[in-house]
Amino acid sequence: MECCGPGYASPAEAMKAPCERLLYTIAIYTGTGIQKPDYLCTIDADPDSRTYSQVISRLEMPGIGDELHHMGWNACSSCHGDAGMERKYLIVPGVRTSTLHIVDCATDPRNPTLFKVIEGSEIKTKTNLSAPHTVHCLGSEIIISMLGDAQGRAPGGYLHLDKNFEIIGRWENSMGDIKFGYDFWYQPRHNVMVSSEWAAPNTFMPGFDLEEVGHLKYGRELHFWDFEKKEPVQTMYLGEDGLIPLEVRFHHDPASSHGFVGAALSANIIHWWKDDAGEWRWEKIIDVENEPHPEWPIPIPGVISVILLSMDDRFLYFCNWLHGDIRQYDISDPHNPKLTGQVWMGGLLDRAPVVNGVTVTGGPQMIQLSLDGKRLYVTTSLFSTWDNQFYPEIRTNGGCMLMVNCDTEGGGMEIDPDFVVDFGKEPNGPSRCHETRYPGGDCTSDIWL
Amino acid sequence: MTMYTITLVNRGDATYQVDGKKTLLESLRAQGVDLPYGCKYGGCITCAAKITKGSVNQTAQVALNNRQINDGYVILCVARPTSDCTFEIGVESHDQLYRNPFLDPLKPHELKADVATPLKDSSEELL
Ligand code: FES
Repeated sequence: MECCGPGYASPAEAMKAPCERLLYTIAIYTGTGIQKPDYLCTIDADPDSRTYSQVISRLEMPGIGDELHHMGWNACSSCHGDAGMERKYLIVPGVRTSTLHIVDCATDPRNPTLFKVIEGSEIKTKTNLSAPHTVHCLGSEIIISMLGDAQGRAPGGYLHLDKNFEIIGRWENSMGDIKFGYDFWYQPRHNVMVSSEWAAPNTFMPGFDLEEVGHLKYGRELHFWDFEKKEPVQTMYLGEDGLIPLEVRFHHDPASSHGFVGAALSANIIHWWKDDAGEWRWEKIIDVENEPHPEWPIPIPGVISVILLSMDDRFLYFCNWLHGDIRQYDISDPHNPKLTGQVWMGGLLDRAPVVNGVTVTGGPQMIQLSLDGKRLYVTTSLFSTWDNQFYPEIRTNGGCMLMVNCDTEGGGMEIDPDFVVDFGKEPNGPSRCHETRYPGGDCTSDIWL
Repeated sequence: MTMYTITLVNRGDATYQVDGKKTLLESLRAQGVDLPYGCKYGGCITCAAKITKGSVNQTAQVALNNRQINDGYVILCVARPTSDCTFEIGVESHDQLYRNPFLDPLKPHELKADVATPLKDSSEELL
């Protein structure tokens, strides 16, 4: 199909795209004691460039204390057939202020500029929502999961923006019995959206009290939506196997019904699919054991804070933020994953405190994979208050970004010895890096209709 | 209008006159004190400060657990002074605010107020 809209005709086409030369990564000062705005970094990822593996520009947000976290494009392959659309703007929300920053990354890709700001106060007034998290475009429009109401109580809902970034209102027709919100992904050919559960903003923002999990203040359910009717139709109670289900990923193949979620606290990977009778089913396919710590009363769970699928749906990657490892599984048979690679950086188990000459404070956290599946970029900060609990030295050391080379033939991973961005050396003082996106799309942006 | 004197120890003991009806965040920022904040409704902990003398009303806060309150933390965006107070402000005051829950679990009475098990009598707290 000849087309001039954004993205690619298929996942297979996306894999043939040119290698990423620039990375956009969030860096924060919120919670660090440095009274400066959070910012969007542009990082040089061209190995032939003199500034390879360096921050080449920084776009500061207008306010202080946003806690930039996740972000998403205004358009992806879901409008590949629409010549009027362009992958031009990153929508960069502040979780704490609820303010949305619309950043123009296309006019000068090396120096993104602020195009528009939607104030959190406007969002709260018009929709009674706060705490923006996941951004997905939806044809030419945008929906954002909002984790709380205007007072930070669960379950929040979904903010709907039009393509000019005007607030349409709430996207969903009903939240049903959903208790919490977090991430979501949709698979239009199955008319389904799946959403996961973190906690109310008033619960997770101040930090993590483990004891509150037992008081049901954190999620343990997965929700299946009728995507066209915009309402939840089925809930899967994951129980102890699915404590705090976070990142949700469907196969990139739009015909597939298979998807995965990482249960952060249980440190399990949950797989779901539609069976031959048309029923949604789920199973636990990976279980990371808790690790004892010599001096601590409670063993340490992996805390799977992120999962990601390669564009060809063959490999699943995830991080154990507290243990300090990234794993690669071959999921060609999604019921029977095979561990094919593992690397260590930071973490609380002290397996790899220094990598490429930089002290890794925090553990592997957000990851982003190149379209061809060969380069995995990793950052180390999770969320300012949680960082402060588990890795207090991050205040003085800052976060860092590393790259892992992935073998897409036989499987396997290796930390690249030449790539490291030390956010401890930022001009305004140590900052913390979080989610990354590439100008040409990546493995967590694009959905095919 | 009841006015109180607020002293900030880690700002060279600077003092400010504030209105007991206004939140401390509002009053101090209006007088030029640079303070971190996020949600402004008492839920995100960004604005926490440590009180070393005096008292406040912060019943609207939902960010702190009972241990943090016992350690003297105050959510400035909703707290109103009920006497003259002395504070340490900003992230410099957060040394006891964050704790690793696997290393240092909370006791049932130290949870947030809505889920805490109250102590039967105050002598238990000493155990
Ligand atoms: S600003 Fe969020 S608790 Fe005060």
